[in-house]
Amino acid sequence: MADASIEFKGTSFTLSVLHIKTSELADIRADLIKKIAQAPDFFYLVPIVVNIEQLNCSLDYQAIKTLIEELKFTFVGFTGAVDKEQRKQIRELGFSFVNTSKADHSEKTAIVQQTVAKESLSAAVVPEAHLYTDKVHRGQIRSGQQIYAKDQNLVVIGSVSAGAEVIADGNIHIYGSLRGRAIAGAKGHHKAQIYCQNLEAELVSINGNYWLSESMEQHWGTPAFINLTDSELTSSKLI
Amino acid sequence: MARIIVVTSGKGGVGKTTSSAAIGLGLALKGHKVVLIDFDIGLRNLDLIMGCERRVVYDFVNVINGEATLNQALIKDKRVSSLSILPASQTRDKDALNKENVGKVLEELGESYDFIVCDSPAGIEAGAMMALYYADEAVVTTNPEVSSVRDSDRILGMLASRSRRAELGLDPIKEHLLLTRYSPKRVEEGEMLSVEDVEDILSIPLLGVIPESQAVLKASNAGEPVILDTESDAGKAYQDVIDRLLGETVDFRFLVAEKKGIFSRMFGG
Repeated sequence: MADASIEFKGTSFTLSVLHIKTSELADIRADLIKKIAQAPDFFYLVPIVVNIEQLNCSLDYQAIKTLIEELKFTFVGFTGAVDKEQRKQIRELGFSFVNTSKADHSEKTAIVQQTVAKESLSAAVVPEAHLYTDKVHRGQIRSGQQIYAKDQNLVVIGSVSAGAEVIADGNIHIYGSLRGRAIAGAKGHHKAQIYCQNLEAELVSINGNYWLSESMEQHWGTPAFINLTDSELTSSKLI
Repeated sequence: MARIIVVTSGKGGVGKTTSSAAIGLGLALKGHKVVLIDFDIGLRNLDLIMGCERRVVYDFVNVINGEATLNQALIKDKRVSSLSILPASQTRDKDALNKENVGKVLEELGESYDFIVCDSPAGIEAGAMMALYYADEAVVTTNPEVSSVRDSDRILGMLASRSRRAELGLDPIKEHLLLTRYSPKRVEEGEMLSVEDVEDILSIPLLGVIPESQAVLKASNAGEPVILDTESDAGKAYQDVIDRLLGETVDFRFLVAEKKGIFSRMFGG
């Protein structure tokens, strides 16, 4: 049931952030006064978030808040990439800790490292072939023609002539002779396979690894299927 | 409405004009009204093969440009009254042709003829595309030789995708394979592609096999289409092609090398 009188919404505001580099209140006060003097109206009642990242010593949080408000700023809270302990301390004192859209620095680095490691292990960030639907083409693919099954497997009911190209992001099945080029796993899917009833291809490729006719001698002229094992193409008898 | 047949190939020099002349004349001899159109603007040959080169006054481009009517440009064949030829221009550019004006001419011809046979130029450029655009049927002329087969395959792709029927999603062009310059002896020796080899690669129905024949050169130079040479193998084979085009089932001849008997070897040639 929706509340009749109130509603919470997320909205972005640009807030001024005051980076303090020392815990010496006197110094901070002096510098702030100088700054305000340059344009008093500009700074009047401006919401301020105090960034304490550059401090490597403890700070009198209450004193800072008092100082900020004394100089006619509107104090919002503290911010910065500081550790959990410090953040907890600040909250316990009753002050708000404002997070920026970016995560805590040290945590962020760890997350990035983890992601990089994961990506180097897995070969592709593409869906598995069994999630692809089939694009079915009935009829010959003639010399000079090109068919691309984008985000799909390709099924050709007919032959692929020399000088023709069939390309698929998924698997390629040819109910006929393959005399042209077949390029499977075009977007980087290394588990894609190529099946045909008569292997006489000019070129076959799975995820960028390719064979010319000379490498197909073992199953040339017979029903065959080709797949990628450890980045090496292999052909096998089909039926 | 006329049946528009394009005789095309992709490859040059395989027998398109020879076949166009033979088919046009053959159909007319069977009593049909036929017009033969030469689409090879700038390299016209059909008039030579038909033997009417000295009677060309106006040509296809003249008609397109409105400089002559169809009646003025069409040349009636002296042998068969139901056959007419529309010659190509020799001096003009093929850029004169475009889909609209060619379509208009074909429509006008369609009203008075049963068959319109279009002799296509070689290649896959504008001239060939114009010849095949309005076709209902295609006779794909192929030599049993690798480059001719590859080029025929290419033109088949174009027939299936760049013709008017393809663009409008109508029934596709009816494709026929015409294998010309066939030598059964060389096929048996393994030098030449066989009918089965070509059929396997092109996968279209076989219309006819025309054997290699010296009669073809004789016919060209005389301006008498080879189908009139009823003694020659080529002439007979073209006759079979006509019958098949008209719906008859005819066995394929001249596929097997003749075995000469001892007497013909001793006394004959």
